[in-house]
Amino acid sequence: MRIVRERPAATVGAVLLALFVLMAVFAQWLMPYDPHQQVGPVFGTPSTAHPLGLDDGGYDVLSLIIQGGRISMEVGFAATVVAIVLGGGVGILSGYFGGATDTVLMRITDYFLVIPDIPLMIIIAAVWGPSLGHIVLVIGMLLWTGTARVIRSQVKSVRERVYVQRARSLGASHTRIILRHVLPQVAPLLVANTVLTIAVAIFDETALAFLGLSDPTAITWGTMIEHAFDRTAVSAGAWWAVVPPGVAVSLVIMACSLLGQAIEDATNPRLRVAHLSIRGFRIRPVRPARAEA
Amino acid sequence: MHGSVYLARKVGLAAGTVFVAITLNFILFRAAPGDAVSNLSRVPHASPQLKEALRHEFGLDQSKWAQYLLYLKELAHGNLGISFADQQPVSHDLATALGNTVPMVLLGTVIAILFGVFTGTVAAWRRGGITDQVNTNVAIAFYSFPTQWLGLMLLILFAGVLPTSGMTDEFAIDPSWWAHLQDVLKHMILPSATMALTLYGEYTLIARSAMLETLSEDYILTARAKGLSNARIVRRHAFRNALLPTTTMVALSLGYVVGGAILIETVFSWPGIGRAVYQAVLQRDYPMLQGAFLVLTLSVVVFNLIADLLYFKLDPRVTE
Amino acid sequence: MSMLDVVDLEVWFDLPGGGELHAVQGVDLAVERGDRLGLVGESGCGKTTVMMAMMGLLPSNATVSGQVLLDGVDILAHGERSVRSHRWVDLAMVFQGAMNAFNPVQRIGRQIREPMELHRTASGAAARRRTNELLEMVGMPVSAADRYPHELSGGMRQRAALAMALACEPRVLFADEPTTALDVMVQAQILQQLGQLVDELGLALVLVTHDLPVVAAVCDRATVMYAGRIAEQATMDALFHDPRHPYTRLLFASTPDLYGEEPVVSIPGSPPRLDRPLTGCPFAARCPHAFDPCREQQPALATLAAGHLAACHLNTRAGVTA
Ligand SMILES: Nc1ncnc2c1ncn2[C@@H]1O[C@H](COP(=O)(O)OP(=O)(O)OP(=O)(O)O)[C@@H](O)[C@H]1O
Ligand SMILES: [Mg+2]
Repeated sequence: MRIVRERPAATVGAVLLALFVLMAVFAQWLMPYDPHQQVGPVFGTPSTAHPLGLDDGGYDVLSLIIQGGRISMEVGFAATVVAIVLGGGVGILSGYFGGATDTVLMRITDYFLVIPDIPLMIIIAAVWGPSLGHIVLVIGMLLWTGTARVIRSQVKSVRERVYVQRARSLGASHTRIILRHVLPQVAPLLVANTVLTIAVAIFDETALAFLGLSDPTAITWGTMIEHAFDRTAVSAGAWWAVVPPGVAVSLVIMACSLLGQAIEDATNPRLRVAHLSIRGFRIRPVRPARAEA
Repeated sequence: MHGSVYLARKVGLAAGTVFVAITLNFILFRAAPGDAVSNLSRVPHASPQLKEALRHEFGLDQSKWAQYLLYLKELAHGNLGISFADQQPVSHDLATALGNTVPMVLLGTVIAILFGVFTGTVAAWRRGGITDQVNTNVAIAFYSFPTQWLGLMLLILFAGVLPTSGMTDEFAIDPSWWAHLQDVLKHMILPSATMALTLYGEYTLIARSAMLETLSEDYILTARAKGLSNARIVRRHAFRNALLPTTTMVALSLGYVVGGAILIETVFSWPGIGRAVYQAVLQRDYPMLQGAFLVLTLSVVVFNLIADLLYFKLDPRVTE
Repeated sequence: MSMLDVVDLEVWFDLPGGGELHAVQGVDLAVERGDRLGLVGESGCGKTTVMMAMMGLLPSNATVSGQVLLDGVDILAHGERSVRSHRWVDLAMVFQGAMNAFNPVQRIGRQIREPMELHRTASGAAARRRTNELLEMVGMPVSAADRYPHELSGGMRQRAALAMALACEPRVLFADEPTTALDVMVQAQILQQLGQLVDELGLALVLVTHDLPVVAAVCDRATVMYAGRIAEQATMDALFHDPRHPYTRLLFASTPDLYGEEPVVSIPGSPPRLDRPLTGCPFAARCPHAFDPCREQQPALATLAAGHLAACHLNTRAGVTA
């Protein structure tokens, strides 16, 4: 991809994200120990056998990170699918059909944009009871608003372009126009939004888990941070039980942000030329032959 | 003349949002499958008398529609119900908690905005240079840290140096108001710093891209052609224009601020509304949860409205 | 030596994917007090780039060589540093698409006054008086000073941009497509005003456009650019009646005359890419008269008569008229 070549930050993001995805896919083979089994002393310090030490139950932290990454990323990706389908759908319908459809959908979007996500997620998760499936749905159902808005405005401008209008006058159905003409145009933006949404979804999972709203038996990065807080890892000075899950979450979010931002920047031509920059234009010395004239 | 239309629209949106939140509250707790209140067996430690009282209070023997009207009526009188946990009116508990939350959150947020706008502006101005790279990458890092985890890190780092739990020193005997204030401020440092640090990254990125967008506008070229120095162009022309999208984005991030407050107060046991939410979740104290959600939504709506007013002041074009 | 001399100006742009685009290739211009010089050519031939280079306003991906001499002093010698003190007091500009030339959150008057206060040509009440004077000069009510840009129509904004450009009584006024976005009536009014002001104030005008009737109406001399080079330079009269470069002739034929009676013929083909070296005449591929030397050797800009220059091999081949 051209974007990756032109922006080193995007490359860093893409590589990092790919590494984490590979880690999740091959978790089975990568884990040095069974993450559900006590394999050493409680809060055992990092050693060659346990590079990241042991947690409050004597579980190997490295294995937990690998297994937790798998679940956290599954939750994050699944929630993102929900959010993008919802947000992309609303955005496309709203922008493409305009009129009353647009008004109603955008009014709803506006309300949900203002209502604070995390408290609402907390309430829904609390009422439904803790389970990973619920977490996925709750996060997905609340993360679509931004995507809907961005996609809508892009679709609106695409719709005005000639060929969509021409396609319509030739009698193409709406579904066909949306799939053949509109979707390809908004695809880069949709991809950027997907990547950025994954970051937020993973972030939200850790927040809900921290408040005890995730499945208490599942190992995720979120529950690892929660356990570290609840179960005295902090007061015991066992930093190795606290630091790794946070670093892992941060790295994934960072990877998604770098990549998403780069794609978004590349699709936004307005950010390309700044009229003001520290480095001015350069001057090449005048060619001697002409300078004397 | 047109300005009043803009304001009316914004107030309408705010009122609509509050109404939607109120209705969601009802649906989630009463009407949705698996709803909380009709399923009173899930209320922990409820005596038969309490259950009866609750059934009567919520009008559970009546139709959903009648329940909704009853709920709205009670709400209009400021009645948010009785907390399952401590049998106190929810509105009373929440008022105290909100009073504790606002100063801590406000301090952190204001610092984050000032600092973030400053670093974002500098980064955009020095786009591509080393200042930009460092600023942007540090901002992305802070943006990526999970709030609760950053709180825990600060807690580990500063345990013993700064108070890490609660709002006051429980063992202080009859302190003067000055000593009390100092005590509270000291307790506030870590929670507010966590708030400021988690938001700072995001605000830097927002301010940077707003500034970059502004610097690509034609009037910046005009200003250069007029002979203005770069510093003067940024001060006189770019800054205020870049502030416009920044205001909107900051307003949109308020929901995130509220979420952050819940996590931070949980980490540092700050007796605010966020901690109230956490405890209500642990105890499945639904009236408290419902009330807290409403108060949090209301505060986000109010601050959004303030942001809209600010936008109105800053941009002469909104009267169009 | 003229008031403003451009000597052998070259501009390269670094391209994002690597490589360079040679946008301006050895342009010489001379502008005297009271001159009205037109700069014409198809889109992308480097007109804007030449003007931006003269004011030192090129973006950071540009590399410049050559001299821009104001009263014999090279103002580009030290880049932005040396050119800044000349901006607006000596050289002022009305930008291409000046619709967005005003800061949307400041009143018009303040933006017109800004350069006066910056360069200390007037301040306080005097600056306000001068602002009103300028607005009247361009045919606007003085109340416009208290308006925000979005409250003015496109034509009004363009006039205001003109007023702003005249704030510090510059010696040279660059106008880059000052009327393109406007409707014909307004265009005509503004152009007429422009011509009148230039006369009254005795400043030099460099007008960039690809609209030949506009140049014909306002300028007395024009430089025709093609692919970053000067193709021909002469008085308007000579360009219309005795063009010595096939491009000039086609360009004039492709433009409907002021009364719109003749059909519009556009020149077939498109200009060469500027991001790779070129042999021969850049116009050869589209030229109906091209012959062998055109594809092998770049024609030099030759003086054919007093003030009439053209770069075409046809002029140097005995017995053939261009
Ligand atoms: N910042 C830039 N970076 C790279 N290439 C540029 C840049 N600015 C201009 N160019 C290229 O330089 C050439 C000359 O552009 P310029 O804007 O001077 O043309 P112009 O004659 O003013 O055209 P128009 O009539 O469309 O305004 C074009 O090929 C253009 O693509
Ligand atoms: Mg141009």
